[in-house]
This record gives sequence, structure tokens and C-alpha cells, in this order.
Amino acid sequence: MSNETALSPDEASLRELFASDSGEPALGRDPFAEVVEIDPFLERLDAVRTRGRVLGAGAAPSVSPVRPIPARDSDAARPESRGQWTTVALPRRRRARTPALAEVELPEPRGWLDRLVGEEERRRLAALAHLVEGEMPFDRYGFSPETTRLAFPFFHALYRAYFRVRSHGHEHLPQEGAAVLVANHGGLLPFDGAMGVIDVLLHTNPPRLVRSMVDRWAGSLPWINVFFARVGQVVGTRENFTDLLDDGQLVLVFPEGIEGIRKPVTQRYRLQSFHVGFVEQALRARVPIIPMAFIGSDDQAPILYDMKRLARRLGLPVLPITPTFPWLGPLGLLPYPVSYRIAYGEPLHYHERFGPEGADDARLVRYLANQVRRAVQLLVDRNRA
Amino acid sequence: MSNVLVTHADEPIGRRIVKLLFHDPRVGRIFAVGDASPPRAFDRFLAGSDPRLRYARVDLAKHRPVADLFHSAALREAEIDTVVHVPRHGAAATASAPIVAGLAERTAETRMVLQHCLETVTVRSLVAIGSAFVYRLPPGNANRLGEDSELDLDPDVPAEIRSWIDCDMILHGEVHNDRLRVVLLRVPTVVAAGGYVYLSPALGGRPGLRLRALGYDPICALVSDKDVARAVQAAAHARSSGIYNIAGSEAVPLSVLARWTGRSSLPAPGPVVRWITAAAHLLGSESARVAANTLCFGFTLDTSRAERELGFRPTDRIGLARAGDGALRVETAAI
Repeated sequence: MSNETALSPDEASLRELFASDSGEPALGRDPFAEVVEIDPFLERLDAVRTRGRVLGAGAAPSVSPVRPIPARDSDAARPESRGQWTTVALPRRRRARTPALAEVELPEPRGWLDRLVGEEERRRLAALAHLVEGEMPFDRYGFSPETTRLAFPFFHALYRAYFRVRSHGHEHLPQEGAAVLVANHGGLLPFDGAMGVIDVLLHTNPPRLVRSMVDRWAGSLPWINVFFARVGQVVGTRENFTDLLDDGQLVLVFPEGIEGIRKPVTQRYRLQSFHVGFVEQALRARVPIIPMAFIGSDDQAPILYDMKRLARRLGLPVLPITPTFPWLGPLGLLPYPVSYRIAYGEPLHYHERFGPEGADDARLVRYLANQVRRAVQLLVDRNRA
Repeated sequence: MSNVLVTHADEPIGRRIVKLLFHDPRVGRIFAVGDASPPRAFDRFLAGSDPRLRYARVDLAKHRPVADLFHSAALREAEIDTVVHVPRHGAAATASAPIVAGLAERTAETRMVLQHCLETVTVRSLVAIGSAFVYRLPPGNANRLGEDSELDLDPDVPAEIRSWIDCDMILHGEVHNDRLRVVLLRVPTVVAAGGYVYLSPALGGRPGLRLRALGYDPICALVSDKDVARAVQAAAHARSSGIYNIAGSEAVPLSVLARWTGRSSLPAPGPVVRWITAAAHLLGSESARVAANTLCFGFTLDTSRAERELGFRPTDRIGLARAGDGALRVETAAI
């Protein structure tokens, strides 16, 4: 007697439903069973070709309406095993660097703005164009040599005539390779950073563009964020910092942060507490730290009082009272024509002694940050005297 | 020799992936599925009595058609071991119900494909394309972002970007699965020869006027469609799983990219952009999905992990070329 019994319609449908678990196709339609329509034009074209072959050589017509494409010859040479593909040796990314001044062709002046600066300055600006790869007018941080060329005459005039900048210690700046410039911060508007960028550009060969780490708040301001990016300044995030150092660039940081620009007149040239991230980055990237001092920035807009509570309510980092602000309106924020002095100290090669693993030691990083702060303070005091 | 299933193969990036895999000697059979009828570019691949490529129309957002697909005789016989999931670029033009079971269509599709990949014994690898717009953008015109950068989990994120984040997180949850190797490729704005732009919340869709926030012109990381296909190919053959940023070496401001791709970008104050976007959305305009009000800040991607582990490096340069009508359009070419 057979064990099979007649199934009820419900049981049959249930068995059919679960048949998929035993490896049989079960549910609904099979999408690949449907006929795929091929473009009739190609079929006609193939028919013409086939007829030509038949008439010409007397061969039997092809079974397939259109010949499938064979694999490319170049593909056959590729490695077959997966292991080979995961261990491909890739060339290191080209580091952004500028050529020496003697190698740069002097460009013709392209307008009255270009005529405001000398030949050497134009040559230096032309060298910066090499920081942009290929035919792209921007680098990956939005730096535009063209915008920098247009903005340079204004800041050069500030550098020469308004702030009358004097500087020394350029021999400590590396000709190539990454380094972290650590400076004191002062003045309401970041003209110290701008003067630092101009000074390094004018006193290095090959000309080097300093990438300042700017505050996130400045990066959120309309127009300001675009201008900063186009002239090579970068928002100070950890990823940006790491990438710039990997790329072999000079990075300028103000570890005091906002506290530096809002310190009152009684605290001028007294360095505030340092953030320590720059030490970690320098150790990990194995680059030197170069102390840098700005004299004059704390005098360009002396803060008599900072209305912190009101500033917080307005979402501003600082709302100061100065001898001219708010009495003269926005014009009161403009810096006074003080004389600037910039000094570069000897590089601190902490990475040689402590190595990248030192960046994981929080106490060591704090200690080194204090050492750098002391070095910058010493540089400031010496140059003020 | 691996057999591959490619989803949304009828869309431009999917087509490019199928073409590349078809010429790959390490790939056996290719099963391509899409919403529409097979693209004309596939006609030559589909011809013959036993073609290497087979195509089917499947609605990936619905459970029954996806179950039919993964239980079909063809897929079982071929024992596909790799699934390449190309999420839908945007809302389908003819979609009557863009929300499936409370989820955006793109999210529903990703969830469904992942679920069936986990259940199908033969499938060993799932390579999915995601968007790099899932990252929280810190203030600034350009920021370097790595795979470990924070995702934008703000509830106010536009719906389109939210669906990309949902897809990302669904796949992220299975990255460490022992049986199924899950690779998620986060790609930025994809450009193709002729001025086409894909996966960009600000420039997607048809050419025309776009609004952007006044005072902001964020840097946009770019990658060519061919490089995306190469990245998928590299991921399909690699052994590692995880999340990888994929990008080209070029980055341009949004206004420049709009001009290069035949679109015009009009700067307008932020609140005005928001009002116009909301009004256009209410009127059912497709261009309403522009997230211009959120795209104030730009980014570029750190692709070193993909270089190191997948062996992927972009080989296309993106630049301007004069088109047949005399206009300058963005083009891609091998270095």
C-alpha cells in the first residue's frame, strides 16, 4: 500500500510554497524565463551582415542573430587570483610642491592689479600655480592660484605699507617637506595669519604657501569661508590637518584658539592655554614644530572688555569693547596701523625623540604642548624687548 | 570564476558596471536586473543562444518579485556568488508609490537585497554603492573626510540624503558578517562624459536652473562613472570587507561644476532657497529634491583605504572639452 495520500488543495499550495527550501524554484514567476526583446535594428543589421557572408563565402548563416562580444585581449593578461589583486603596489601620491624661483617663467602682467606688485612677487605667485594638479583650477581644499593672484596686491600693500612688517629667522623654515608652525594669536581680525602667509611666501625659495588652520566659526561665515578656501586656508579639523601634513605642506596653527583673540589688553602677549592636537599630529606625521611669534597683533585692536554673555546669545565668539568699537560701527573693528614683527624660532624635533607612538600618551602630549607654549612665549618676550 | 548579479543595471552606473564585468575574464555569468526594459547597450551582450548576460525586469522594492528573483531557476543553476547592488539614483519618474512599507524606495530595496543575500547560501559577496553625502559636513568650504568620519544623523536632513544614510546603516550592520562579505563604496558626485551628473543632491536630474545658498560655494569631490565601475570590479574580486571612500583626484566648486555640466546655479539667500524648495516640492516638481539649503559646506574624500585594501586608484581625469554644439562640457578621459 502506498504511503502517499491525497493532499487537500490548501496542503498542496503550502507544500508548493515551501518547495523553495528544498532547492526547487517555487514562488511566483521566474523573471529570467521571460523573453528579452533585442533591438530589431541590430537583428536586421546582423541579418544583412550574415547575408553578406553567405553571398561572399558560401558559409552557413550564423545561429546567433548577433555575435556576442569576446573578452578583450588586454583582460587576459590580468592576474587571475584574488590575492594578487589585493596586494597591488600603488605609487605614492604626488606631493604638492612648488618649483624654485629660477625655474619659474615670469608671467606677463594681466591687468592693473599685477602691475602693483614687482617681478619677483609675480614669479612667486606663478610658482604657487604648481600646487594645483593638471588643468584643474582648484586643489582639493578649494585653493585657487587665480584668486590668490588677485588678492595678493591688497595684502602685500598691508604687509609693506600699513603694518610695515619686519621679520627674521627664515632660515628655520624648511625648503620642502611638512612642518607645523605654532604661533601666538591676537587682534580681533586674523591679520596676523595673513601677514604670516605673505611673509613665508616672500622669504622662501621655492616659494611656499602656508596653510593656516582657521576656526570652524569662520568656516561657517558666508563669503568669508569661500575667500579663506580660495587663498589656501583650511578649517582646522583633524582629518584636514593630517592630510596636509601627509601632503608635505607647511601648516600654521594658533593653539590658543578663540581665547587668543579675545584676551583683554591687560593680558596682551601673555599666551593662553594651548590646545594639544597639533602635538599629536606632529608626532604622528613625524614633522618638526617651528615656534613663531607675532609682535603687533595684540596692539592692533586692544580689547577693553569682552561682553561674553551677549556674544554667546548672538552666537558670536567675541563681542568686544575697544577704543573704536562699537563707537565707530563696523569701521571700529579695523586694525590700527601698528608695526608688525614676525620671528621664527628653532625647530623642535620632538618626533625624533618620542616617535609616533608618543601621540598616544596624553600626559606626554600635554607636556610637549606646554614646552612649545613656553618656546613661543620666550620668542615673543625676546622680540618685544 | 564568479557569477554576478547586478541590480538597477538599466541605470547609467549599472550599465557601466555590467559592461566592465562583461569584459572581465574572471567573471562568468552576469545576471542584470532593472526597472525598465534592457538598455540598448546590452543588445549585443544579450544576443546568442546562451549569452553570458541575462536581463530581467524586477521591482526590487517589493518582496515577492525579489523572492522570485533569488529563487529563480537561472540564479540557482548559475550559483551566483557576488551581488552588486546599485541603489536607485533618485525617485523613479514613473513611481506611483515612492514609499514602500513606510520606507523610502531606495531603503526598502537595499534592505530586501541584503536580506536575500544573507539567505541565499551561494552568495558570498555583496558590493553596494552608497553616497558620500551621508557624512556630517563640518563648517568650511572644503573638508577632508575619511570612512570613520561622523554620519549626519540630524533629523532635519533632507529625505533624499536620509534614505542614503538609512541604506548605509543597513549595510554597515552586516560589514562584519562571517559568511557574507559586505563591501560598501561611498561615492561623491559622479560625472560621465557629455556632462551627465549622478548621485548629487544639488545637481541631479535634468539640466536647468539650480539654486544654491548665497555666500557659499562648496567644493564638490568628483569621480567618473568609469572609475566607479572599476571600484566595483576591484571590490568584487577583493577579499576584504568594509566601507570604502571612492573618489577621483578632482574637486571643483559647486558653481563651476554646475556650469560645466550645463546647469546654471543661481545664488539666493538661504531662507529664500528653503521657501522655493518647499514650494516646488508641494507642486510636485522633481527638482524640488535639491538640497541646496543644506549644501553650504563641501568635502573631499580620503581614498587611501580603498587604495590600500582594494587596490583601487582612479584612472580617469575629469575636465572640460568642447562638445559637438560648441559648448564646453565636462568630459572624462583616461590618464
